Amino acid sequence: MADQGGSAHGIARASRVRTEEQRKVELDKIAKYRELEDQVRSSVARGDTGPDLFQLTSKLLRLNPEYYTVWNVRRRLLTSGLLSKPSAASSPLTASLTASPTATTTPPSAASSSSSLSATQPSHASPTAGRSGTTADSPVDEAKTSTADATPRAAAVVAVVAGQKKDFDILKSELEFTIPLLLDSPKCYWIWSYRLWLLQQVIDRLSVPVARRVWQEELGLASKMLTRDRRNFHAWGYRRHVVAQLESPRLGGGSMVEAEFEYTTRMIRMDLSNFSAWHSRSKLIPRLLGERGADDSTRKGFLDEELGLIREALNVGPEDQSLWYYHQFLILNLVNPVGHPTLTPAFTLEDRVTYVTREIQDIKELLEDYDDVKLIYEALLEYTLYLGQLQGRKLDGAEKDELAEWLQKLKKLDPMRNGRWTELERECGLVEMESFGN
Amino acid sequence: MDSLGDTSGMSSSAVPVCSSRCLLSPLSRSLSRSGKSILHIDPNNYYGGADAAFSLQEAETWASSITAATDNDRGTFKSASITKPDGNTGLSFPRAYTLALSPQVIHARSKLLSQLVSSRAYRHVEFLAVGSFYIFKPTTRSSQKPSLVRIPSTREDVFFTTAIPTKAKRGLMKFLKFVLGYDSEQQLETWQPYADGPLADFLKNEFKMDAELQTYILALTLSLDGLITTRDGLSTIYRHLTSMGVFGPGFAAVYPKWGGISEVAQVACRAGAVGGAVYMLATGIREMEMSGDSIELRLTSGDTVKTRMLVRNDKNAEVGNGVSRLAAIVGSPLKSLFEALVEGAPLPAVAVITFPAGSLMTTSGKAYDYPVYAFAHSSDTGECPVGQSILYLTTSTTPDAKEILAQSLQLLSEAIDADHIPLSLFQMYHEHGRGSVASRPDGSIFNFPDASLSLLFDDSTLEPVHEAWKQVMGEAEVDTDYMTFPDREGVMDDEDMYD
Repeated sequence: MADQGGSAHGIARASRVRTEEQRKVELDKIAKYRELEDQVRSSVARGDTGPDLFQLTSKLLRLNPEYYTVWNVRRRLLTSGLLSKPSAASSPLTASLTASPTATTTPPSAASSSSSLSATQPSHASPTAGRSGTTADSPVDEAKTSTADATPRAAAVVAVVAGQKKDFDILKSELEFTIPLLLDSPKCYWIWSYRLWLLQQVIDRLSVPVARRVWQEELGLASKMLTRDRRNFHAWGYRRHVVAQLESPRLGGGSMVEAEFEYTTRMIRMDLSNFSAWHSRSKLIPRLLGERGADDSTRKGFLDEELGLIREALNVGPEDQSLWYYHQFLILNLVNPVGHPTLTPAFTLEDRVTYVTREIQDIKELLEDYDDVKLIYEALLEYTLYLGQLQGRKLDGAEKDELAEWLQKLKKLDPMRNGRWTELERECGLVEMESFGN
Repeated sequence: MDSLGDTSGMSSSAVPVCSSRCLLSPLSRSLSRSGKSILHIDPNNYYGGADAAFSLQEAETWASSITAATDNDRGTFKSASITKPDGNTGLSFPRAYTLALSPQVIHARSKLLSQLVSSRAYRHVEFLAVGSFYIFKPTTRSSQKPSLVRIPSTREDVFFTTAIPTKAKRGLMKFLKFVLGYDSEQQLETWQPYADGPLADFLKNEFKMDAELQTYILALTLSLDGLITTRDGLSTIYRHLTSMGVFGPGFAAVYPKWGGISEVAQVACRAGAVGGAVYMLATGIREMEMSGDSIELRLTSGDTVKTRMLVRNDKNAEVGNGVSRLAAIVGSPLKSLFEALVEGAPLPAVAVITFPAGSLMTTSGKAYDYPVYAFAHSSDTGECPVGQSILYLTTSTTPDAKEILAQSLQLLSEAIDADHIPLSLFQMYHEHGRGSVASRPDGSIFNFPDASLSLLFDDSTLEPVHEAWKQVMGEAEVDTDYMTFPDREGVMDDEDMYD
């Protein structure tokens, strides 16, 4: 390292003052890292596939999780040897058996009770496979009907179960390995993609109940990451992916809409300013109401509650854009019923007008205490225009005066968009067109 | 104990420090780490001075000593008494308890904590979350029993609470926003005229807050007379708001496990001893003789020490109104007080309840003009066994104080659970006079106040400590080294990863 030079003229050192000792320690660390890297490289070059190389990748990835080549090395080690061969798992005979670590390995003919064996789908299930549970040809039945070749069949079953147990242990351990790395580098793509690969292996190799449990734990992890950084939109996207998998027939799932809706409520309670949570919420509502079989009066009640909720939120956070976006989502639902899915299809025009008018009134109340928040004026502007459109009429005098006033305010509060405000003034006929040449 | 009788055995640059209370222990440790010879003596046979924490046996001994002491010896404590009901109440053995004499909570953004971090002492102290701040609401016509209302101090709290009407919520939000920028030029203009007057007036006039909302804000300051100035009040609330979420969601203050501030003192003493300072308990100064710029101290142990500088706490002056305290061990875990209300928040171990001024009545029918504050400690503090809790009540000392504290204890128990009023297993009452302020009567002696009576750790008490350190260090002083110690050799966090 370059000599830092003497402090001959008593010049103060810049921010990082390291003692000689600390510098030495850092140089040591760098040397060790380089050595580790070299070891991995040469091992791979030699074509090693043993546990030593695996250990080396662990060490190196702990120091540098961004080293994606090393993730690939690790992946190859798993698929080329550590995990069981695909042929064992796809035996058409018994498909997958419950592979919990405490599963018995007794042959099916001996265990007539179905508690130790539950028939599940084959690991490479056809898309039309049903939920986990009994199918017509449970291994118990099969075993009973083909006692003639019970021995090779039993041996194959044992092999499958053992293979699944081994895979489960390895995949679990791999998932655990990534956790401290994730906590340190929560936005490192390579760690997430390795996890996703592991989770896909879980679906491919393990039985449905086991795979389901693993994915449910994954949901727990996604929640934890979101608690640490609730606006991490990668984490929200990841969560949606996990939920989609859990809902899929592949994992024997059903709809999780209620739980996910409740989750957005909890996230909002933690932090109102959570754009992703409000967005998720808006996406879930149509499905939610559909699944609840909500009738018109229930739908109206639901809308009233959501409007109440967002109004309370705006009451304490009118400067927060994410809240206005959600409010707008609810308003558009009222204003744009034609050709768009709406929460309240039974609302008459009169109903919609009443609601929008009331919202405008409530927002005006906010001005009593918050007179310099530009988003309030923008909302008032927009909703007044919507009202006119809804009723298919032009704005009356009083409304025009209000609009003019709000636009004046906006020009002061948001001068960067003066062009827009002036344009709106013209469009609404609030200013006389200047005649040129005067 | 090594003899110190021979003055040549002690360098004449030794700096005796008298009293091992919270502020002075880190000072002696700091000086010792900076190469000074330190002798730290404490006339008590326990660490911590007025910040100490006692087992039940120690508490009983202490209370007796206060009662038996003459006016000269007692220092600033008086009227200590202990009550416990007879029979088998479920009180556990004495060492199962740690009663803090002067419980305090520490804001997350307090300077004390950043000093604990930079001096590496934080590793030996476990910090617990101080969760909700409540207001006590007495019985009214519409509610048959007293209740506790949570004070909202974040936007999300205000959003969620049903205790405040819509328009008042807006007023509260405007105030919270104001406080966050209170030292900007624009805000300064607004509150400067009220700076030395009561915060309550500022809230009423500038923010149109009604009496109820005012009590919510004042409660966050834990002001003992309820008359905290606007200047001090805004500064405290600012620290509260900016401390929110610093160490985790849902809480703004922490409490050291195993007895609070006394634990900080203990840790500092142990660390100081490792660094070479000498500690002597049950030793005080019998006589002091000044000659030139050197002081000769004759200790009660018989040793004599010569020094150029002395740091001590001043137990003598009793200036102004002190506090009356009641510590009560109750036989219930009081779970409802210690719930984590936010996702991902740790379970709090301490809750704060305020009885606003005027909410209590004396037996003679007058409204009691001072606030009463209660700290509820769960067994997570390590101060009592699982299944029990400790309630520490504090109010300014007045003729009615003792009775009011007893009444508050009763009402608080009712408010928490009117159907199963928690039984009180042990109570300790005492009064603590307000001592002097930090001073330096002459070049070689530093006087520190006996204790801070504040319920919130007061950062301003750290300044005289820093001053003392600077004076003792003299020319060798490097300000950035104050309370900043590099790790000792071989103690680094992430070394093992490279093995």
